[in-house]
Amino acid sequence: MKRRFFIRQTAGMVVLVSGIVAAVSYLRQFFPRRAGEKRKITLDDPQLYPVDTYTFLRDHNMFVYRDHEGVKAVSAVCTHLGCILEKSTDGFSCPCHGSYYNEKGEVLSGPAPRDLPWYKVGITADGRLVIDPGEIVDADDKYLIA
Amino acid sequence: MKDTQGKTGEGITRQKDPERISPARVVTRNFFLHIHAPRVHVHSMKPAYTFGLGIILGFLFLIMVFTGVILMIYYSPSVEMAYQSVKDIVYVVPGGRIIRNMHRWASQGMVIVVFLHLVRVFYTGSYLGGRSLNWVIGVVLLMITLLSNFSGYLLPWDQLSYWAVTIGSNIAASARELTDMLGVTNSFDPGGFIKKLLIGGETVGQPALSRFFALHVIFLPVTTLVLMGVHFWRIRQDGGLSRPLEYAEDRGGKNKWYAWPVLMWTELALLIGVVAVILLIALLADAPLLEQANPSYPENPAKSPWYFLGIQELVSYSAFAGGLLIPLLYLIFLFSIPYVDREDHHVGTWFSGKEGLKLTGIAAGSTVFLVLLQLFVMIRYGWLRDWFPEISQVFVMLLNPATITAVFFIVAAEVVRSRTSSTRMAALTLFTCTFVALLIFTAVGIWFRGPNWEFYWSPGQWPVQ
Repeated sequence: MKRRFFIRQTAGMVVLVSGIVAAVSYLRQFFPRRAGEKRKITLDDPQLYPVDTYTFLRDHNMFVYRDHEGVKAVSAVCTHLGCILEKSTDGFSCPCHGSYYNEKGEVLSGPAPRDLPWYKVGITADGRLVIDPGEIVDADDKYLIA
Repeated sequence: MKDTQGKTGEGITRQKDPERISPARVVTRNFFLHIHAPRVHVHSMKPAYTFGLGIILGFLFLIMVFTGVILMIYYSPSVEMAYQSVKDIVYVVPGGRIIRNMHRWASQGMVIVVFLHLVRVFYTGSYLGGRSLNWVIGVVLLMITLLSNFSGYLLPWDQLSYWAVTIGSNIAASARELTDMLGVTNSFDPGGFIKKLLIGGETVGQPALSRFFALHVIFLPVTTLVLMGVHFWRIRQDGGLSRPLEYAEDRGGKNKWYAWPVLMWTELALLIGVVAVILLIALLADAPLLEQANPSYPENPAKSPWYFLGIQELVSYSAFAGGLLIPLLYLIFLFSIPYVDREDHHVGTWFSGKEGLKLTGIAAGSTVFLVLLQLFVMIRYGWLRDWFPEISQVFVMLLNPATITAVFFIVAAEVVRSRTSSTRMAALTLFTCTFVALLIFTAVGIWFRGPNWEFYWSPGQWPVQ
């Protein structure tokens, strides 16, 4: 009886453990390693962006703002449900559920839960703008053009 | 029992000469006809009791499978080619337009009929008398029907597809509103987890399309098929369709009919009818196909499929409350009905009699009043954030027409329960309230919301863009 008990227990454990391993490795397949990675974006010469204007980058869903001092970049993705914002006269408005942000990206009305993130702006050795969506900065931080 | 055994190899198709064997054996010897018991209660045959909604759903699903296979042959699930291949189906494949139309309209039909079926089963108390498991399976099938529909929406890769799924996947991620508030999103992020599982990344792209394709053509249909089998089988296990207690006694087969041939032929006629109706609609109305998906310009307004516009109206108050909390509570409510309400004597009677009908009327009326009142205030005077611009996100999340309405409903159901000391009456109240509210929110989302989700009496008033 004792031996039978031992074999049964061992067999049970083996089935359980291999079952768990199989299930976990199966489910692991649904989560790719490199999904959603935030890569740096290299743009053009900062002088190409019009002054005192929010320029929409259609491939990256961001606005780049330039004035006589420098350049900054803000996300154009609504923090509510991910629609793309439109620039209005004094802020950003979301066409999907009517959230409204001011020019600093702060929520003024609507269901948006968070303010818009501003991204770190830098420059490459050959003088082109680089935006790093992985690094969030303050709304007033600019990359100063010397 | 002996004569239910067919000879080897005879069981799968119909016998050559059914007239020679008894009607009961025709059914029991045939795999497909065995969907019914050999004899069915007279009460189950009354058209005004079931309206045949369950079997219509089965037939619509058949249409989905048949047309879906053809679409699948020509469709290619890649971001570059999806839109063009759907266009080819419409403009190049012979009859492709009709097939696609049928697929689309049958799917919309399924959504409508699945809700009607839910309503029928609830108001006749058909989850009672030991039918709780089948009710639960039914609710799961309802969810799968909606999911199948939703996953199918992404496949054409047009503007509707892209933005509906962007919004949908972000609703799934909106648990982040709660985790952000608690400040734990970096270590514990169930919202992001579900979103990643669903669309395989942060934004909708090729991984999302591949995943939705797999869900739509394999996982969900197969699950539906299996659960449908169990759903039908449970009806027999539970002693046939529900009926009032006075019909319960067994009168030695006097109050039962043979399923073959009358019921079977009626159902075949119904199948032909369903196909004819869908075919007719498909000939008259084309399934919409918008412009190709453009990830930097949402439609304005960006509306999901019509049956999700109730939820979209709710998420326009708060993504977390409207998109997760309320739907989750609603599902918990649906699942728990047969386990909370066990008053089996109410089985099989529409609205459980006059008292229940009256209560249903009152509940529906007060829901219309309550919801419209809040919508009026919101549209005319704005809501919390318009009154107190500095207000914390917690209040935006927890105090809005969706949550306030839900609290009212729960209180109302509890009041009814303590006054009538009947869980069935409480369930009738809560079901009616939630369903009417769902209808109102959906109607508002469909007809009264325009650009930037603002209120308009009709699309004619929308500003020209």
